[in-house]
Amino acid sequence: MTEQHLFVVHNYLRDRDAYGFALRPQHVQRYQEYLNIYTEEETERAEKWKNFLDRQENRAAESCSSEEEFQDSFQADGLESGEESDSEEGSRNGKHEDCELSGTRVLQHLEQDRTETAGDVSKERELSPEEAQVLEKNQYLREKSLRRDTGPVEDEEKEIFESDKDKESSVESESESDEEKQSQAVKEPMDHVHIQEEEKLVAEEDKCESGHEKAQQETKARSVIEWAHIRPCLASIEDMMCARVKNVKYMKNSQKTIVGDHASPRKESLPSIEESEQNSGENDRDSETSTSRSHSMKEEQGSVSPEPFFPWYEELEVLVRLGVPKDLRGEVWQAFVGVKARRVERYYQDLLAQITNSDESSSDVQRKWKKQIEKDIPRTFPGHPALNENGRDSLRRILLAYACHNPSVGYCQAMNFFAGLLLLLMPEENAFWTLVGIIDDYFDGYYTEEMIESQVDQLVFEELMRERFPKLVNHLDYLGVQVAWISGPWFLSIFVNIIPWECVLRMWDVLLFEGNRVVLFRTAFAIMELYGPAIVATKDAGDAITSLQSLASSTFDSSQLVLTACMGYISTNEARLEELRKIHRPAVLEIVEERIQKGRVWKDKKGLASKLYSFKHEGSILDHEQKSTQRNDGENPDDDDESCSPSLNLDGANVDSEVDSLPDLQEQVVWMKVELCRLLEEKRSAVMRAEELEIALMEMVKEDNRLELSARIEQLEREVRELKQVLSDKKEQETAMLQVLMKVEQDQKLTEDARISAEQDAAAQRYAVHVLQEKNEKLVTQLAQMEKKLVTAETTLEATLQYESGQNKALSSSPRFTRTTQESPKKKTGFLSFGLGWRDRNKAKQTEESNVDNTSNASSESKSPSKESKSEDLLNPETRR
Amino acid sequence: MGCATSLPDRNSGALSGLSNSENAVPADAKNLRVKLVLLGDSGVGKSCIVLRFVRGQFDATSKVTVGASFLSQTIALQDSTTVKFEIWDTAGQERYSALAPLYYRGAGVAVIVYDITSPESFKKAQYWVKELQKHGSPDIVMALVGNKADLHEKREVPTEDGIELAEKNGMFFIETSAKTADNINQLFEEIGKRLPRPAPSS
Repeated sequence: MTEQHLFVVHNYLRDRDAYGFALRPQHVQRYQEYLNIYTEEETERAEKWKNFLDRQENRAAESCSSEEEFQDSFQADGLESGEESDSEEGSRNGKHEDCELSGTRVLQHLEQDRTETAGDVSKERELSPEEAQVLEKNQYLREKSLRRDTGPVEDEEKEIFESDKDKESSVESESESDEEKQSQAVKEPMDHVHIQEEEKLVAEEDKCESGHEKAQQETKARSVIEWAHIRPCLASIEDMMCARVKNVKYMKNSQKTIVGDHASPRKESLPSIEESEQNSGENDRDSETSTSRSHSMKEEQGSVSPEPFFPWYEELEVLVRLGVPKDLRGEVWQAFVGVKARRVERYYQDLLAQITNSDESSSDVQRKWKKQIEKDIPRTFPGHPALNENGRDSLRRILLAYACHNPSVGYCQAMNFFAGLLLLLMPEENAFWTLVGIIDDYFDGYYTEEMIESQVDQLVFEELMRERFPKLVNHLDYLGVQVAWISGPWFLSIFVNIIPWECVLRMWDVLLFEGNRVVLFRTAFAIMELYGPAIVATKDAGDAITSLQSLASSTFDSSQLVLTACMGYISTNEARLEELRKIHRPAVLEIVEERIQKGRVWKDKKGLASKLYSFKHEGSILDHEQKSTQRNDGENPDDDDESCSPSLNLDGANVDSEVDSLPDLQEQVVWMKVELCRLLEEKRSAVMRAEELEIALMEMVKEDNRLELSARIEQLEREVRELKQVLSDKKEQETAMLQVLMKVEQDQKLTEDARISAEQDAAAQRYAVHVLQEKNEKLVTQLAQMEKKLVTAETTLEATLQYESGQNKALSSSPRFTRTTQESPKKKTGFLSFGLGWRDRNKAKQTEESNVDNTSNASSESKSPSKESKSEDLLNPETRR
Repeated sequence: MGCATSLPDRNSGALSGLSNSENAVPADAKNLRVKLVLLGDSGVGKSCIVLRFVRGQFDATSKVTVGASFLSQTIALQDSTTVKFEIWDTAGQERYSALAPLYYRGAGVAVIVYDITSPESFKKAQYWVKELQKHGSPDIVMALVGNKADLHEKREVPTEDGIELAEKNGMFFIETSAKTADNINQLFEEIGKRLPRPAPSS
């Protein structure tokens, strides 16, 4: 097998896209043209997502940083990149860097690895197979450490080389540089598969290796690491989506109790409709279930819608529509599907154990599935480089486990592609749970034995097509092409293998994000819109279908397709679809019941197909049904009555007559009428379309505005924050100023006080001066008085002197008297002589300046201050006394 | 009535038979157009037969067919008529047979394929014969094809069984190998010969 595998890989190298899927030869050229656009878009969206997730992480960290969770994911990251715990420190960073690697850088790495490994291989060529195997294993281990930088691709490379050494030389010679690049690019997305392989080897060889012991124990039974957590920055998205899952689960469980079906725990997540379908006889239950089911779906929509709780929901929606970056896709998808909420520990392992144990005891149905799976595994993306032996084993396990998990679906062709696709993006068990989510939940009832929902969706789609593209559908009717012929495979395969991979993945991004099948309808409409005009120009059924198929498969402009789908058909929403499904479901159920009751023997004359056919036209165009019944009853279709049925037939007439060059006037009139009808119809549809587009445009504008506004709001908020900051700064300054001011004021007050006190001092001094002056005056008056007294005393003295002299003259005769008097004059002479001398001097002046008065005395005093102060000194004690 | 009943004559008038085009609709006597549907168990090689016939390619690991796939091919017969085959290649898994009526309804030709190395696929072929007799167009041209004739050493369904089944049901029988291209073109040429020719325009 590997030989063949290798052969195929190298045969198709040029014909594979970046995901490793085969390109049709006619598309290689166009693909190459679009490759640059894809790369550009990829870089752009990687940046946007990084930005978004960084913010998410911040937000999450702000709200609550759950240490434990972080640890978990941390470990898981390590697991996922296939590293052992010793070297795990910093592996997270490494991984993030890896994610940001631009395509070219990756390629460079790969190129290096390739040469390296090629060298290794040539060394090994001489070894015996056993030895080579050991070496191979050792090399896995040895290169683990290199892995972080180089990515897991080299192992893939090596494996191809090593698994087939005979082909070695041819491979070598073939590896021209461009081819090489492509082949390596091809191998890029399949890391997970190989991680598993590596882990397997590690587990076998290195059981006692430290770290992850728990993880190893868990998977010891299979010695394959099949599970990895998603990175923590997606946690908030995951939580939102898990809330959705839980709600759905709850709805289903409650519904189950209504139906009264006691399912085994293994069937936990089974929708009850399928269970009841298995009980073929109970038709009542069938319808009951279906109604309760649709109820629950309605409620689901109401209650599950996550928008109100998550302000970033819309932003995420826009991002999803622009596409999920390659490196994130696997994990983002898991987050969208809510794998965390769905996963039951060890469930997958138990299922696998059950499968291996019950090889003989398995039922017929199980054997049938197993056989079918075996048939289909090599036919799933044949030649894809990742789906080598190990990849296929994983694929087989997933499909078998799913069949075991949900026996009402078991295995249905198409699931092999889904599982294969998921395996390319994530580890095995993650892929299993994602598949469970998609099939059990998103496509509930789609892939069951009776494919009821799938048929219902086809009826709904056809009705909507008639509404939206009447001209196109009329043309298809005329050509005898039923819309469901084309759209059936589209829906069932979820566009895998229908449109180019870039588109498929982008569509799946939206599908998994939205959690319902609306985008299937929208994408189909978008394709019809894009290629309708070409289809209308075709002349027969074969050309119409062929051109639609080939056009669809060359829709390389993924952005155009996805955005047309998402923006152009907003009115096609889950509520509307559910409404229509409700209308159409009974018809399908009736047929199914009939089939079951009659054990696949249809006694009804009309048969399933005709039933389906007529149901299809119920409620759409009346004449159509009439016609179909006629056809079914085998009546002659040449019936002339039919010519009078309106639009549809007329439209046909138009084309026919165009072909038939209008033989007579009557026909021309008819033709004109037909043309008129057709144009009217066209106009109607054009108007409708215009309205639709207008709405879409408005929506777009609104959305744009919203984005702009949110950006603006953020900016404003930032500004507000800044302003607040400034304000608080200002306030601080103000308080500081205030304090300074207060200080100044206090100072001022102090100085004022000081001034006042100084003034008071001054006043006091003035007062003191005043008092002193008064005193002075008083003293002056006193002095004057003293002088008067002195004058009086002088005069008295003079008088006395005169008297004495008089006496002396009289007494000079009496000696006794003389002696006593002699003594006293002696004493008195000092004073007297002074007083006399002073009086004389004064008298001389007085005589000079006319008569003597008190004032002149005073003035004379001032003229001789020293004398005065002396006299004052002399007089003062007297006055005081 | 013959084919006139089931194969409305598109040339008989601009307005007649307009609504119908499900059946094989020959544009004229010389240029036939027919819807052909391939039925049969999963993995018997339906897609391989078509790919060999239309593109002349063979890929042992072709893709699983989901729902159905379509291809068309025109061949020229010896009597200088051309036949355009509009081929619907259906999914083989049993549950997809619920959708098969959508495709075989109105088909002018049904090719029922089985794998000569798989008796089970032969049983499935018998199922399809019955189903078509009940629900197909009454005058559908049916062919029984035993594919993988190159694997004769692994043969488990004798040619005689095939012949017998075909004769009993008025079918045309051939063993083919898409891998070696044996009898592939013969198969379609023979079908072309057996197609009902439109009655000359009246």
